[in-house]
This record gives sequence, structure tokens and C-alpha cells, in this order.
Amino acid sequence: MTDREQYTPGPASGAQVRKDGEKWTLILVRELRHSPEKVWQALTDPAHLREWAPFDADGNLGAVGATVKLTTVGAPAPHVTETTVTRADAPEVLEYKWGGFDMRWQLEGLGGGTRLTLWTNIGHRFISMGAAGWHICFDVLDHLLSGTPLGRIVGPEAMKFGGWQRLNAEYAKQFGIEAPNWPPQAAQKS
Amino acid sequence: MKIKVTSVYVDDQDKALRFYTEVLGFAKKTDFSQGPFRWLTVASPEEPEGTELQLALNNNPAAKAYQQAMFQQGQPAAMFYTDDVKDDYERTKARGAQFTMPPTDVTASIIAMLNDTCGNLIQLVQLARKSQAAR
Repeated sequence: MTDREQYTPGPASGAQVRKDGEKWTLILVRELRHSPEKVWQALTDPAHLREWAPFDADGNLGAVGATVKLTTVGAPAPHVTETTVTRADAPEVLEYKWGGFDMRWQLEGLGGGTRLTLWTNIGHRFISMGAAGWHICFDVLDHLLSGTPLGRIVGPEAMKFGGWQRLNAEYAKQFGIEAPNWPPQAAQKS
Repeated sequence: MKIKVTSVYVDDQDKALRFYTEVLGFAKKTDFSQGPFRWLTVASPEEPEGTELQLALNNNPAAKAYQQAMFQQGQPAAMFYTDDVKDDYERTKARGAQFTMPPTDVTASIIAMLNDTCGNLIQLVQLARKSQAAR
């Protein structure tokens, strides 16, 4: 069996939800056994992003003012948005927008490793789905940096995955929300 | 092949969902998201398995320019068929719809035009042949 076939995500953890008026923010924390410099490269370099992130970038995200097109991978209709990097303090803080979402990444050195925190806003009905998706992305990122890449697991591929379904339910429970209906056909009946 | 889904661009998907369901009377069909992408469709309760209308966010410059030009030229972004345009006109007006054209006789049909509040004109069409057949 390949690493990808053997991969099973761990239990839901490290996620919080903050509500500010109508704006919901998902906060995800993950500790990685890799230096902030290495993690920074994985967050900014298009060739690295292609290996783990839910979007492709057509340029490097590592400099303030960089204008980069982000393509959502696996969306049911082509979805390309243009972003301008608003903060890039390597290897500590990175900020830009993904479509209408704010993306703020913080990297803190942690005994040779990195504590990675992502703040991103998200529609409240999709918050557990987002947490489950990022959880798997971060696992894939960790494997990539460890030199045992699993290959990107995003979009419909992630949702087909048993581990994603479980994480979606676990995060929904942690956040005290109802797990969104999935597959979407189920939504018709409600 | 079938024509199963068609799209209109909207400036705000939550506002559009409210207008298309609460004012026009359609029903939400599919709603899911992937990152900032949200796939949102409505369908007619008269035809729940019929053609879906995707309410697509106009968050790219080409979509915004197209939508504005169509609106300024008075071109509808979509047309909905009805068996009774006058009745739909009164019903949706009572729920707050703003019409740019009241029900008007034209060749082979009666039409009306409303503003969907999301950047589009929507035309309601009642085919004359259908109304004659009903009589």
C-alpha cells in the first residue's frame, strides 16, 4: 500500500471558531516538525502549494504587493480570483485574500519546529467542512515537508474520503453546530 | 444532453438567495462551498427537478463589466416563463419587487421586467399561444 492509501487523519483538534457580528472566523493551529523557513516556503512557493493547498497560485505569495491569481482546485465551475499580498514578514506573518476570504498565516518557532496558525473567514454553514478540509491539507503539508509526500487531497477527493466525513462531524460537534448536509442532494429534502 | 442549469451573476449570494426565494418564490436547490467558492442554485417549486438557476458571485472583473453593460442596456440576464404574468407581477410586487416594465403586450407574448436587486434585470414571459390555449 502507498502512504496515501494508509493515511488516516487523526481526531479533530486545534480549531476554534470566532464570531464577530455576521463574520465568522476559523482559527486553525498545527504544530509542525519543520523550521519556520521551510514552512514559509511551502506557504508561498507555487510549486509547494501545488502539493498540498486547496488552490493553485500562478506566482510567489512571499512579497508584499505581489499580485497572484489563485485557482480553487476541484470547484464545480472554474473559480479564479486575483489577490494582492498585503503582508509578508518572512518567516512569520503572511496575509492576503482568497476570493472574499481573509487569509492570515502566523509562524512561530517552536523548538526547531513551527506552530502554524491560520485565521480565515468562512460562511458559518460551511465552517466544519472548512476545518475538516484544512486538517487534511495540513497533514499533507506535514508529509510533504517530511519528504514522504501523500499528494494533494482537496475538493471532491477530500470529501469522498471517509476521514473527511468523520472530521466534518467531529468539528461540527466541537463547534456546537449541525454538520452540514453532504452530499448536497440531501439538502433538497430539508 | 439537457439544459439543466443556467447562471446569473449576482453581487451578493445571501441577498440573491433571499430575493429569489422570498420575493420571486423559487426554492433553494443546492448550496455548498469549497473555499471561497459557493455553488448556489434555486429551482421552481412548480418543477423541482427542472432547470436550476445558479446564483453565481460576480467576483471577477469580466463578470461585473458584463452584468453592468447588460443592465444599462436594459437587457434581461434571464427570462422566466409563467402562465399568468399579471398575477406574478402583483404577487412579487406585493413582496417588494421593483418593476422597470409592467406587464406589456408584445409580439407573441406578454412581458414584464423587474430588478433583482443583485445587478440584473429579469424578464417574465407569458406566451400568447399558451394563454390562448388555456382559454
